[in-house]
Amino acid sequence: MIFLFIGLPLVVAAFMPLIGKVSKKVAPDVLANAVFLFLLVLAVTSGRQLIGQGPVLQSLSWLGEPLAIQIAVDGFSLFMLMAISLVTFCIGLYSINYMTHYGSKANFYALLLMMVAGMNGLVLVTDLFQLYIFLEVAAVASYALVAFGLEHDELEAAFKYLMLSVVASAAILIAIGLLFGLTGSLGFAAVGDALRGLDAKLAVGFCAALFIMGFGLKAALVPFHAWLPDAHPSAPAPISAVLSGLLIKVSGVYALARIFYNVFGLEAGGALSQALMILGAISIVVAAFLAIRQSDMKRMLAYSSISQVGYVVLGIGIGTPLGVAGGLLHLFNHALAKGLLFLNSGAIQQSTGTRNLDEMGGLAKRMPVTAATSLVGSLSIAGVPPLGGFWSKLLIIMALVQAGHGVLAVVAVLASVVTLWYYLIMQRKAFFGKLNEKWAAVKEAPFWMSAATVLLALLVIGSGIFFAAIIKSWIQPASESLAKGLQTALHGLGGF
Amino acid sequence: MTGHIALLCGIVLFSILAVLAKDLIKAAISLAVASLLLGILFFLMGAPYAGVFEISVVAGLITVLFMLTIALTKTGGDVRESKAVRIAFPVFFIAFIVIDILVMASLLPKIHVLAGGTETGTFGDVLWKQRTFDLVGQLAVILAGVFAVLALFRKRDKDE
Repeated sequence: MIFLFIGLPLVVAAFMPLIGKVSKKVAPDVLANAVFLFLLVLAVTSGRQLIGQGPVLQSLSWLGEPLAIQIAVDGFSLFMLMAISLVTFCIGLYSINYMTHYGSKANFYALLLMMVAGMNGLVLVTDLFQLYIFLEVAAVASYALVAFGLEHDELEAAFKYLMLSVVASAAILIAIGLLFGLTGSLGFAAVGDALRGLDAKLAVGFCAALFIMGFGLKAALVPFHAWLPDAHPSAPAPISAVLSGLLIKVSGVYALARIFYNVFGLEAGGALSQALMILGAISIVVAAFLAIRQSDMKRMLAYSSISQVGYVVLGIGIGTPLGVAGGLLHLFNHALAKGLLFLNSGAIQQSTGTRNLDEMGGLAKRMPVTAATSLVGSLSIAGVPPLGGFWSKLLIIMALVQAGHGVLAVVAVLASVVTLWYYLIMQRKAFFGKLNEKWAAVKEAPFWMSAATVLLALLVIGSGIFFAAIIKSWIQPASESLAKGLQTALHGLGGF
Repeated sequence: MTGHIALLCGIVLFSILAVLAKDLIKAAISLAVASLLLGILFFLMGAPYAGVFEISVVAGLITVLFMLTIALTKTGGDVRESKAVRIAFPVFFIAFIVIDILVMASLLPKIHVLAGGTETGTFGDVLWKQRTFDLVGQLAVILAGVFAVLALFRKRDKDE
C-alpha cells in the first residue's frame, strides 16, 4: 500500500506520453488529477491508521520472493506525504486551464508525476543512497519543468538551477560516501548506530557541513540561494508553486532534518542545532530585505520563500519539541500559502501578460477571486492572526524564548513585520487603487484555476482556525519522530 | 601509489580541458579520456565492475552519443563564451584545489575506514539482492531524463 505513493505516479507517468497521443488534453488532465486525488485520499485516510501503532516498515516481494525494497512511514514522512498530496492536488486542478497554452500537457503531467514520485520516494526511503537517488528523480524532472516554456529566460534559469543543483548533489554524494566509508553502511539506523560507537567528530562534522551545503542549496538557504530567484519566477506558475511550496522543503528541509535528527542525533543547543538556527536566521532577514526591493511579483514571492524556509529551519534547528512543531507547522502553512500566491501570480500573468507590480493596479475590480485569495495567502505568510502562519510563527518564537534565544526571537518578530510590509506593498500595487486603463478588459481566471486558488485559500483559513487539531493529528506525530532523534530510527524502525 | 596519483592528475587535467575546450568534439574527447583514466583507477583500486561500467558506458557509449549529437547538430562548432569565464574558472579551480588539499590533509588521517560491513557481497548479490530499490530509483531517473528530452525538444503545437 505505501509503495503506491512511489509506484502509482511512476507507472502513470510512464504511460502518459502514450495517453497524450490518444487524447492531447482531456485524458492527461483526468488521469493526472485522478492520481493526485487518490494519493491525497490515501495519505489522509489510510496513512493515519497505518502508523496508529507506531512507525511501519514495509518490504516488497515479487512472486513470493522477497525483494530488497524497504520503505518506511513514520509521523514525519506521513506528514510530508500529506503536504505533498494536498498541494499537488490543487496544482493539478489549476493546470487543467493554465497549461493549455503551453501545449504538450501529457509531457507536462509526466514530468510532474515523476517529480511527485521523486518527492514521495525521498520521504519514504530508509537509506542515504536511496534518498540521494530520489532527490535526483525529483530534481531532473524539476529542471525540465522550469524550462517547460522554452523561452530564453526559462532555459537560462533552468541551466543555472541545474548547475547549482549539481554542486549540491556532489556535496551530498561526497558526504554519503564518507559516511559509508566510516560506518560500512548506508541505512539511516545502521549509520546512526555505527557513528555512536566511533570517535570521529571531525569527519562527522565535515559530513554535516557538506550536507548543510548540499541540502542548503536545495532548500535555497542564504548564502546558497542564488538559483531560486531566477528558477522559480521563470517556471510555469503551477511549477513555481510546487518548487516553492514543496520541492525546496522536501529535498532541502526534510532531508536535512531527517539526517540531522535521525542519523546524527541533533541535540538542542549542540553545534548542529546552532548551525541550523544561524542559517535560518540569516535567511529570514537577508531574503526579507531582498524581497522588498522586487518589482517582479514572482521574484518577490521567490525571495519570500527563502525567508520563510529560514523560519522552518530556525524552528527545526532549535531542537526542542515546541521548536520542531513550530517549524513543521510553518512548513505546512507556507506550502499552502506560497502555493496559493504563485498560482495567483500565474493567473495575473495570464490575464495581463505582466509580472511587473508597477504596471498593475486596481486588479481587484477585474479579478476579485484572485485578489481575495491572494490577500488570504499574503496575510497568512506575514503571520496575521487567525491565519495559519500566525500560529506557526508564534510557536517558533515561543520555542526560541523558551530555549533562551531571545535575540533570535526578536529577529523573527521583526522579520515578520518586514514580511507584512512587502506583502502589503504587493497587494496595494497589484490589486488596490485605481484600475489601470490597460486592464479594463481583463477577466477573472478560468474556472479550474479559480477553483484551485479558492480551495487553497480555504485550506489556509482552515489551517488557522483548526490549528490545534492539525497539531494534534499531524504535527505532533511528525515532531515526535524527529524529537526522539536516534531512538526513532534505531528502535522504532528496527529494520532500517 | 605514484601510478594512482598520475592517473588522478590526468583525470583533473582532461576534465579541465573538457570545460575549457572551445571545440565541442575536443571537449567530448577530453571527457572520454578523463573517464577512461577513472575506469583504469577503479581497476587498480579493486573495483573492476565500476571500472567496466565507467569505461564501457561513460567513456564509450556516452562519448558516441555526444559525437553523434555534435555531428548531427553542428553548424558553427565553437562555443562562444566571455573572457571572464576563462579567467574566473582557473582562479576558482586553483582556490578549490588549495582548500581541498588543506581540508583533506587534516581530515583523511582521522577517518577510520572500516574493512567492509554488512552490505558487502558479490556484484550480483549487491545489485539484485541488496540494492534492488536503487535500480527502481535509477530507472525513475532515466525515465525523468527521457521525459525531459521529450518536453524540451518538442515541436510547439499550432495553438501555442
